[in-house]
Amino acid sequence: MLRRLRTDSAGLLITLVVAFPLYWMVLSALKPRTALEAGDPAPYTLSPTLDSFRRVLVVEDFGRYLLNSVGVAAAVVVCSTLCAFLAAVALTRYRFRSRATLLVMVLIAQMVPVEALTIPLFFLMRGIGQSVPQLGLNHLGSLVLVHTAFATPLAIWMLRGFVAAVPRELEEASWLDGAGSFTFVWRVLFPLTAPGVVATSIFAFIMTWNDFLFATTFIISAQENQTLPVALLSFFRPDENDWGAIMAGSVLMTLPVLVFFLFVQRRLASGLGGAVKG
Amino acid sequence: MATPAPPLRVPGRMLARVRRSGRLEPWMYLAPALAVLGALLVYPLYQLVLVSFYDYRQPQVTGAEPLRFIGWGNYRALLGDPQFWEVLANTVVFAGACVAGTLAVGGSLAVLATRLSAWVRTLLFLAALGAWATPAVTGSAVWLFLFDPSLGPVNQALAAMGLTGFEGHSWTYTKWSAFGLVLSQVVWCSFPFVMVTLYAGIRAIPSEVIEAARLDGASTGRIATSVMLPMLRPAMAIVTIQSIIWDFKIFTQIYIMTGGGGIAGQNLVLNVYAYQQAFASGQYGLGSAIGVVTTLLLLAISLAYLRALRRRGEVL
Amino acid sequence: MRYRRTARVGALVALAALLAACAPAQTDTSGPGADRMEGTLRVWLFSEVDQEPKERVVDDAIAEFEAAHDGVDVEVQYIPVDSRAERFQGAFNDPSSAPDVAEYGNTDLAGYVEAGGFADIGDELADWDAYSGISADVAATAQVGDGTYGVPWFLGVRALFYRSDVFDELGIDTPQTLQEVVEAGRTVREEKPDMLGLSAGGAYTYGFLPFVWAHGGAIAERDGGSYTAAIDSPEAKAGLELYSQVLSPDVCPPQTCAQMTGNESVQNFIAGEAAMTIGGNFNMNAVQESKVAEDTAVVPLPGTEPDSVAPAFAGGNNLGVLAGTDHRTLSVEFVKLLAGKKYQQRMYEAMGNLPTLSGVQSDIAAQDEDVAPFIETLDAGTRFVPVTGAWASIDAEGVLPTMVQRVASGDASVDKAAGDAAASLDEAFGGE
Repeated sequence: MLRRLRTDSAGLLITLVVAFPLYWMVLSALKPRTALEAGDPAPYTLSPTLDSFRRVLVVEDFGRYLLNSVGVAAAVVVCSTLCAFLAAVALTRYRFRSRATLLVMVLIAQMVPVEALTIPLFFLMRGIGQSVPQLGLNHLGSLVLVHTAFATPLAIWMLRGFVAAVPRELEEASWLDGAGSFTFVWRVLFPLTAPGVVATSIFAFIMTWNDFLFATTFIISAQENQTLPVALLSFFRPDENDWGAIMAGSVLMTLPVLVFFLFVQRRLASGLGGAVKG
Repeated sequence: MATPAPPLRVPGRMLARVRRSGRLEPWMYLAPALAVLGALLVYPLYQLVLVSFYDYRQPQVTGAEPLRFIGWGNYRALLGDPQFWEVLANTVVFAGACVAGTLAVGGSLAVLATRLSAWVRTLLFLAALGAWATPAVTGSAVWLFLFDPSLGPVNQALAAMGLTGFEGHSWTYTKWSAFGLVLSQVVWCSFPFVMVTLYAGIRAIPSEVIEAARLDGASTGRIATSVMLPMLRPAMAIVTIQSIIWDFKIFTQIYIMTGGGGIAGQNLVLNVYAYQQAFASGQYGLGSAIGVVTTLLLLAISLAYLRALRRRGEVL
Repeated sequence: MRYRRTARVGALVALAALLAACAPAQTDTSGPGADRMEGTLRVWLFSEVDQEPKERVVDDAIAEFEAAHDGVDVEVQYIPVDSRAERFQGAFNDPSSAPDVAEYGNTDLAGYVEAGGFADIGDELADWDAYSGISADVAATAQVGDGTYGVPWFLGVRALFYRSDVFDELGIDTPQTLQEVVEAGRTVREEKPDMLGLSAGGAYTYGFLPFVWAHGGAIAERDGGSYTAAIDSPEAKAGLELYSQVLSPDVCPPQTCAQMTGNESVQNFIAGEAAMTIGGNFNMNAVQESKVAEDTAVVPLPGTEPDSVAPAFAGGNNLGVLAGTDHRTLSVEFVKLLAGKKYQQRMYEAMGNLPTLSGVQSDIAAQDEDVAPFIETLDAGTRFVPVTGAWASIDAEGVLPTMVQRVASGDASVDKAAGDAAASLDEAFGGE
């Protein structure tokens, strides 16, 4: 019993350490500006205010960037999951000559450091922009394109396990009912792998949401097309940083991911399980 | 209709139809993914390699000067530059430390989590979930604030404890202190993945197995190393490989927390170095050569690790 | 079987075609076809210390411009000076994503023109009456070769700011030489350990260069059409040695100061945490609005001998039109408005920027004695950085700050650091 108490208090202590940066972020977003500038060390505030949030949302137009980020992430989730799901179907429920080669390539594709591709992708997007401006530099479309490509290999790898887990008998039953392969994939396979799709989408969402490198490289002058990470960084000023605004922006940027996480937390481990079992 | 065939040892019944309807069907399903990956991953990779063989600087990009194929020229310049070797060493040491730190923290907390009361465990997982959910950019911003020389609570707390030397202490001034700062941020936001995965792995081990070992008189340590660890190996493989992949290509944290590479470039890692060479100095050919080196390095490490696993009979 | 073979051959042919078409891309610089008279005009201006007054002036100019031009929307983005190299290069690489008008530092222009980034607007400016009010010397900071790539918007020169109250209290006289500046800094820090003697950072190139120039050194010597590094000459090294004394625990501890840029160096002074700094006339307003306003005195930064002035850097920012703009006429109009008499005057009032129009210059000199030390510095002669495209990459790579920081942190001796920096400089010049 005593031992339990000891491990529990150790666990609690660690929990506090892990949670502290988040707590300080929220606290500083709520502290009045004057207290922050004076370097108020109190771990609480008696006069919480939404002033920083107001500054960020109204003055800095953070809402716009929030929408941009949500839009890009949602588009990437849909596109990459769709591509990956269909590819996973092909790779698990068919047997064809290049199957093993493709699987290895998908695995290798995950290891490619996409950051190293910034240079060629920049010029590729410039080229695309000359014929389809919406998908070129300075537009959100370019971000959707690259992140769809980056998210797909991992998504294929993870979804493979889920698709393979659907029993063969269902396929036969559906076949006997006269359904074509596409009907089976869409009506039976897709709903049954929905949990896996959700787990997979988290990774695509987070990767896109967090991206700073491509957002800062691709969106050259169109301020209205900036995403959150770049907008947040623009709060860092050569003179005194407005920490209240930076922290409020950070809260706004972290919250959607956190909500997403809490919503799907049960799926997290199982999704990874799927990836592990493969 | 033919009579149902006897059960085949094939992935699915579709196979039967595949034989009839040609081999196109799987390719139809693969087409979108292949198109996307081909155009946006394979083709850029090819371009990366190609550009690295050209003298491709700002005047060449804008067409003011003609393109010139210089073969290994960029690589020679790179390998002859002492700064490159320093950056390479930085990258390996820093990323290695990040991987080790993440695995150590995540692994020990996963073990600890199995021994905690349910409510403490829930709290720990909630906090970890928060850290996991924090984007690199906000994490870096929060870290910069926490460790701000004058306004940050860390220095304030240290000073209040009597360590007045920490008043106005800059954590990004010396090279390893700056790396350490970034490392702590990286570990904080990536250990939850390791913890959750390994925890799930531990939980998946049937309790009978452990009971049996215990009845055979094995000690706790013995159980951990000889029974649990082998069963955790697939999960370990995933988290190790993912950590290596993530930590070797860290860009955002270094770029933001050390102001683009630190004092006199002391905190440059390969990705930031490539970015600075290309997008700040306009040497796209040289930047691409660095990108190629990074890619090869990462592929080599990952593949070597995969091979080692396969040799031990693990299948991913 | 045959089917598969055909497919494979087809794939190979497609691949070959793809590869053949794929030498690295070069930007099509044939120039934009359009010159639209409505839509969004994107403008890049630099973000600065205490930039609210600047924003107010610019907002007024925009309101005036939008009122005069129907269907035009001007959108200003304030970009950080530190990462401008990345931003401008991105813009040059994709002209269609570039802004229409941009403020840029005159030191960067040679590189920008080399990259084909800015439009030659000489013809338009020739028809603009106010343009003749800019002296030839100053107009030249926006010219490369035969082209005119913008309008000089304002000038900035730096001088020595010091706290008269601190100097009085400690009985320090106004320094007459650079050596005395450093000694004064040392005395202050000895007496007031919580204060920086002279706030001048390791990344403050234009605070550091006067030390080199005052000793008779130079960054590089022009040698026919190209440059050769001279930063490792004995004179230049004497300047570096003296500046590294500033970045020492007894004047400005490298812990705090090694990383500081010009803005940050001045910020310390404004916050009352430093007894001296090297500040520009453009910092005067921020100083006058701060709590140290009453106690600040400004003199030209002295040279190595009494009564001499250390040559200052003739910096300034120009307004130019990007080559890729599809609103050329509107862009030039906007440049003329913002660089015109009315807004130069307002920018001076708001930011303390020295105007480039001589009419405005004489007006303010008559009104404001605070400008005197800066005008005196200008008159004593100014220096410039090498006019070559290589300067942009030298600046972006931080060759000079790296040199200073290495000496300050004890990482390298003066000789070693200067030698390495000279090698980097020569490499950059040679890459031309």
